[in-house]
Amino acid sequence: MGDSVSPPLKKKFMRAAVGILAASCHLPQHRRSVEDLFREEGANFSTDVAIRLGIMQVPLQNGDVSETASNMAVAAAKKALQRANVDPLTVDVVVEYSIMPQEYLVPVWNMSNKVQAEVGASKSFVVGFSGGGSSNFMVALSSAAAMLSENTSMKTALLVTGDTTIPGNRVLNPDDPVTVMGDGASAIVLQRDAPGGVVMDTELWSDGNNHDVCYIPGGSLIHPDDISLYQMQLDKVRYDAFPKPETLRRMSNQLLERAGLKLSDVACVLCSNISSQDEAATQQAFEDKVSTVCASNRESHGHLQGTDFPLNYLSLTESGSVRQGDYVLGVSHGMGATAAVSLIRY
Amino acid sequence: MNQNIGIFEANYYLPETKKTLSQVFEDEEKPTQTFAADVDFEKDIGIEALHVAKKETAADLCINAAKLTIAKSGIDPKEIDLIIDFTSIPEDYVAPTWSAAGQVQKAIGATRAFATAVNTGGCASYQTTLKVACSLMSANDRYNTALLVAGDKTPEFNHNYFPITVVSDGGSAVILKKNMTKRRILGVEVATVGRLHDMWFIPGIHNRKPEDIGGKYPRWLHVCGDVQRFNKELIPINLFMFRKVMLGVLKQVGKKMEDVSFFVYPTFSAWDLKAFREAFRVPPEKFSTENMHHGHLQETDMVVGYVDALNAGRIKDGDLVMLATNGAGFSWGASLVQH
Repeated sequence: MGDSVSPPLKKKFMRAAVGILAASCHLPQHRRSVEDLFREEGANFSTDVAIRLGIMQVPLQNGDVSETASNMAVAAAKKALQRANVDPLTVDVVVEYSIMPQEYLVPVWNMSNKVQAEVGASKSFVVGFSGGGSSNFMVALSSAAAMLSENTSMKTALLVTGDTTIPGNRVLNPDDPVTVMGDGASAIVLQRDAPGGVVMDTELWSDGNNHDVCYIPGGSLIHPDDISLYQMQLDKVRYDAFPKPETLRRMSNQLLERAGLKLSDVACVLCSNISSQDEAATQQAFEDKVSTVCASNRESHGHLQGTDFPLNYLSLTESGSVRQGDYVLGVSHGMGATAAVSLIRY
Repeated sequence: MNQNIGIFEANYYLPETKKTLSQVFEDEEKPTQTFAADVDFEKDIGIEALHVAKKETAADLCINAAKLTIAKSGIDPKEIDLIIDFTSIPEDYVAPTWSAAGQVQKAIGATRAFATAVNTGGCASYQTTLKVACSLMSANDRYNTALLVAGDKTPEFNHNYFPITVVSDGGSAVILKKNMTKRRILGVEVATVGRLHDMWFIPGIHNRKPEDIGGKYPRWLHVCGDVQRFNKELIPINLFMFRKVMLGVLKQVGKKMEDVSFFVYPTFSAWDLKAFREAFRVPPEKFSTENMHHGHLQETDMVVGYVDALNAGRIKDGDLVMLATNGAGFSWGASLVQH
């Protein structure tokens, strides 16, 4: 094989615009203060740490069956479809972007199948993505937009996640805390030829050297029976060494250049709700364009994995601070393993 | 989809060590449920031995397959724009937090690539991943070369997937390129029946039962199948769903079933293969069988069946090849490759 490549086609094909019809989040009612969680996990909650994190509390499921990851995902999906006024039977693909372990072991099981069944999207197929940290949302967004724009038989996608944290593992890297993680779910309805929220482009980048910068070492093939390793771990040295804001700015510049835009054309930037320290670095790299909704959501919810972007996007749209035609950049460094930038025209 | 995306190269890697079926059945737990089909699971399955990875990890199987395929293709790994891991059983570390895609990227030196993983579809993850990869390549001028890669290593005592099959360890890789004049992927169709989501699953350590701790079998890492639901809910719709995705992809590209020159189908069992062939009236000469002796290799079956048929000279220039499979979740997938 390998001998049948013709010269590249010069013609550029017209691509259909794909946009966000609706978004929703479903978060547990129960909240835990960060101070409580630090105490519970034996971590030192100093004033310095409190300032660096900038997180007051996080939503956590309290054991109610309605708040399993997949049940919250189903609730978020139903709400998003209702807001979009989309009949579930017209959904062509369900795209899942969770990061935390699910009810059963992925990839043999994936909540997207359950979501498909319970929302009644019986004509769709499902696809889920692994390994991108919070950038998994942008991977899902980019892939879904590509499927809708390139397959004439497909028009509507339901993007969905539900993430529940591991008890005793809400403070990431307790010795030198990086973030505090909460539970939650979100969903987005994408449609070809949607009137707004157009997904213009997504730039994705990964560093294979950092494939294990943030992972759960126990519970699968390498450490099948060591429950003490069933914890999300971060290699803080490699995490700190990764040039997060610089990478995101470089990727944004590339993406904006392809669109014929500059950062000055962008109305605002949405980042992941990791910490105030992380946001300050992003703010500096993006010339103070990070929206205030990020800080507000970070304080009240902490880091909700892939749900950070839908949550911030919803808050932004509800705030009335963006107008039709404004450009919004979503950026996520995926802890240094997978970085992603998406450009949306509101 | 545009851009004439096609299969530039494909290959697979199987560990040298083999284990006989009789040894597998002796070592592993005996199924207690009854299978509706009128067959003897152990005698009629049509697979004699399995490949078993010893020290190699699941990621090693991915990496070995990727390296073999890249070497065969002659491409520079730095040309690769996308790496998509389509492994369908648990990998070295817990998913979806981790996938082998990044480790593959590092090992092969694909410094320009973006690496991710598709974690749905079971054995049909091959088709789901083809759909995603072709769409991403078609939609983005900057994605010209994609590497799809998978590596499956089952826990030592979980090769028996009663009542479906017995599984081997192995890895596979496929390189996709744009502007191909041969081996073009004309279309991909995938369908999912989500209500069957909990019929086939692996519990995970967080669902571990106290009585299983320290036992011979890490049951929380073994597949659990509800055989009664399998009999009642899956078997009756299986061929209908195959028909749906195959006719769906044929319709996408304006072809008919009689235009298909060759079928690549998974090696679940001899009776399953026979049922498929009879249902769709496929003569033996149009059907992949060379791969049967490897045992079932999850999603990698699609690659092994395709490569073995090519190597055996059973797929020729001008042939229209249908690759069709089903998988846990449950999903069915069909793709058409024009040679």
